Amino acid sequence: MTEQIDKALAREYEAGFVSDVESETFTPGLDEDVIRRISEMKGEPEWMLEWRLSAFRDWLKMDEPDWALVDYPKIDFQAISYYSAPKSMKDKPKSLDEVDPELLRTYEKLGIPLIEQQMLAGVAVDAVFDSVSVVTTFREKLEEAGVIFCPISEAIHKHPDLVKKYLGSVVPKKDNYYAALNCAVFTDGSFVYIPKGTRCPMELSTYFRINEQNTGQFERTLIIADEGSHVSYLEGCTAPQRDENQLHAAVVELVALDDAEIKYSTVQNWYPGDEEGKGGIYNFVTKRGVCHTNAKISWTQVETGSAVTWKYPSCVLKGDNSIGEFYSVALTRGRQQADTGTKMIHLGKNTKSTIISKGISAGKSNNSYRGLVRMNPGAEGARNFTQCDSLLIGDQCGAHTFPYVESRNPSAIVEHEATTSKVSDEQMFLCQQRGLDPEKAVSMIVNGFCKEVFKELPMEFAVEAGKLLEISLEGSVG
Amino acid sequence: MSEWLESAIARGQENQDWLAPKRAQALDVLANTQWPTRKTEAWRYTPLRAVERSSAKALDRESGLTPVAIPNVSAIELVFVNGQFDVLQSAKTLPTGLTVQLGQDLSAEQQAEALRSFSNIKPERHLFGLVNDALAKDVLLVTVAEGIKIAEPLRISSLLSTGAESHTRVLVRLEKGAQLAVIEDVQSQGDSLSTAFVEYDVAADASLEHYRFALQTGSNLTIGGSHFQLSDKSKMHSTIVGFGSELSRLDTDIIHAGEFADAKLNAMYLLDGKELFDLHATVEHAMPNGTTEENVRGIVADRARAVFNGRIHIHRDAQKTLAELNNRNLLMSNKAEINTKPELEIYADDVRCAHGATIAEIDKQALYYLETRGISKSKAQVMLNFGFINELIDLMPNEALAEWVRPIIRERFAQMEVK
Repeated sequence: MTEQIDKALAREYEAGFVSDVESETFTPGLDEDVIRRISEMKGEPEWMLEWRLSAFRDWLKMDEPDWALVDYPKIDFQAISYYSAPKSMKDKPKSLDEVDPELLRTYEKLGIPLIEQQMLAGVAVDAVFDSVSVVTTFREKLEEAGVIFCPISEAIHKHPDLVKKYLGSVVPKKDNYYAALNCAVFTDGSFVYIPKGTRCPMELSTYFRINEQNTGQFERTLIIADEGSHVSYLEGCTAPQRDENQLHAAVVELVALDDAEIKYSTVQNWYPGDEEGKGGIYNFVTKRGVCHTNAKISWTQVETGSAVTWKYPSCVLKGDNSIGEFYSVALTRGRQQADTGTKMIHLGKNTKSTIISKGISAGKSNNSYRGLVRMNPGAEGARNFTQCDSLLIGDQCGAHTFPYVESRNPSAIVEHEATTSKVSDEQMFLCQQRGLDPEKAVSMIVNGFCKEVFKELPMEFAVEAGKLLEISLEGSVG
Repeated sequence: MSEWLESAIARGQENQDWLAPKRAQALDVLANTQWPTRKTEAWRYTPLRAVERSSAKALDRESGLTPVAIPNVSAIELVFVNGQFDVLQSAKTLPTGLTVQLGQDLSAEQQAEALRSFSNIKPERHLFGLVNDALAKDVLLVTVAEGIKIAEPLRISSLLSTGAESHTRVLVRLEKGAQLAVIEDVQSQGDSLSTAFVEYDVAADASLEHYRFALQTGSNLTIGGSHFQLSDKSKMHSTIVGFGSELSRLDTDIIHAGEFADAKLNAMYLLDGKELFDLHATVEHAMPNGTTEENVRGIVADRARAVFNGRIHIHRDAQKTLAELNNRNLLMSNKAEINTKPELEIYADDVRCAHGATIAEIDKQALYYLETRGISKSKAQVMLNFGFINELIDLMPNEALAEWVRPIIRERFAQMEVK
């Protein structure tokens, strides 16, 4: 055991980026010097710094997008600290007694083991060792398969060719305001490379990635599935995670080369703010994948957290016969606002895409689906099916659908349908008649409503996601 | 800001008549309006370069322009020529209960009254609606008195000679329980630019039958709007038939301002050549128990481009609303383009709303079936296209009008095939 721990620690040291940064937190503000310092902290090569700086220069010229149906006070980008070192042990809560009891109740309901509870709540304990050993076994297994799974800061040093080739290839630096900001100041994130013809031996999860205590608010993920490979990646977890940063602007890039398949599942349950919506996380994420010939990318997301969500996981179906999928459940309550959806850009012949989006609005929240399906002239025989359903719980919330459908190829078929309704009185009556209390009845109906999406999630995630919805909906009935 | 808009503002400032107070408001907004670009959501797919380039100008009323005859329909004609009201061609005698007045002929008191209801239904967001506010001179006010049913349809024609620019504006008021059918059409000879806006105030229990024909093609820039406000238990049934032109943009807004109002909209666009047709249909459910049903179909051939934006907005108080929108499109060529965006914005929970949109090509199996029966491919295509559109034509309440428009549509499909 000790040996394994030492090994894991040594690895960190090898990477050389977790040097003595404990006391280091930048003063708020953003300029080229701050970016130079971030790059220096991470010991990055010159090309990486240049890349960041050019993104920053682009960002300065860009405007904050205002087209989404979300409303939040203007963000002062100069009031944010762009680098904060991991919290030292002594700043952390000493035991679970010091943690918000509300949080603990949620963990309990989700059935999370004590040790994991401590980890999630950020308690300074040594018990994380258990999972370190798990991580180490995982790493060994992955190495055997030739899979690279490491922090992106490590990949910049160890695999510069891959990073140089693919970083920014799917989401260009200038893609949008938040993506440009992310390029300039990202702190860390995951890097995955699956070699040709390899089926990744296990589901990869950020949850098990060591060194991720503080990936910060600007996370960067790059996943490359080489020809004929397969990988399933899980991001986030159902338990509400403690986080000090209010603004999150992550970028995720997926590259599925010929015949490869990437399945990317997300469960997002960040702090949504209090009753009045104060203090919640702003989640402005850019996620996009490119599919080469016969490749497939499947996005599945369960979004229940954050005060403001601005997120459109997309697929560029570049190669012939490639497939893009988007399955989403977005639940908003309280004063949460979610503007989420997907873009399916069909370039290749016989490309296919499926979009299933389920929005549930409760309380005083607003939940929007915003999507784009584009059939380019070359998308001969392409096919899209989109279904967006919204469920309203209570008369103070909103559910909205903004689908853009563009076709420039007559042989392409595009179908879009959307419905909005509430949990019907008949359904409720039927359930209650059979002895279910109203809360259980709503949760059952909502679970049924989301079934099509949940079945796309890896099994244990699906079970948790169902539970998560149930907990999130508590108190919204009546 | 574009030169065209600057000149429009300058011309609007010269107009000094009874509408001056409203015009001043519109000019104020216009002065602060950005000329639309690709990033302007309402004009995302419809570039306005053609308007900026247009050399159309205000021309005097020309004799010799007459509205196209519609057989078996004896309509009460109201005619504009090059933007000016043509008394000679318009109906001399009107049925009891129907009044038609020109704004400038009203007494000062009546003008003050009319000013209060002018431009209240048309939303301010439409750039060219504001241009129309500023430049329309001969404003017509049409009223149907309480409980009166007008048997013949009222036809509002706007005729333009080559190179003419025209801005027409009509306000139609149906008092309580009144009934009226209105046909709107614009006919231009080429290189013209027109904005034609009609506002409908439909009082409680009143019923409006509405048709808008945008059948002129070629080098005409036709921009317009039909805007409806529905009171308690009122009804409207609207049919829009659009062919494209160099630029053809139509906005319809339906506002459910009363309870239990019922709106039906059947729209179709049939585009060929390099035409562009852009239909923006917005329905605002502001009050409970309203129903809306929209069916929009399009066929787009050659290098034509169609834009459809169908927005349904259910306000917080509009409980028990039923609203449905269905948009189906056939794409006939690989140079043609369809951009559709059905939108739902819903703030009330006890409602049933749905929308659907499809884009595809003609059903190959149906085509094959007809060919096996000895029908040539091009004839079969015309038949299938016609059948697709005729389902909506069949829903027109005025059969004589349907009879008139059917061969026009059939002819258009035949032309599409010749190429």
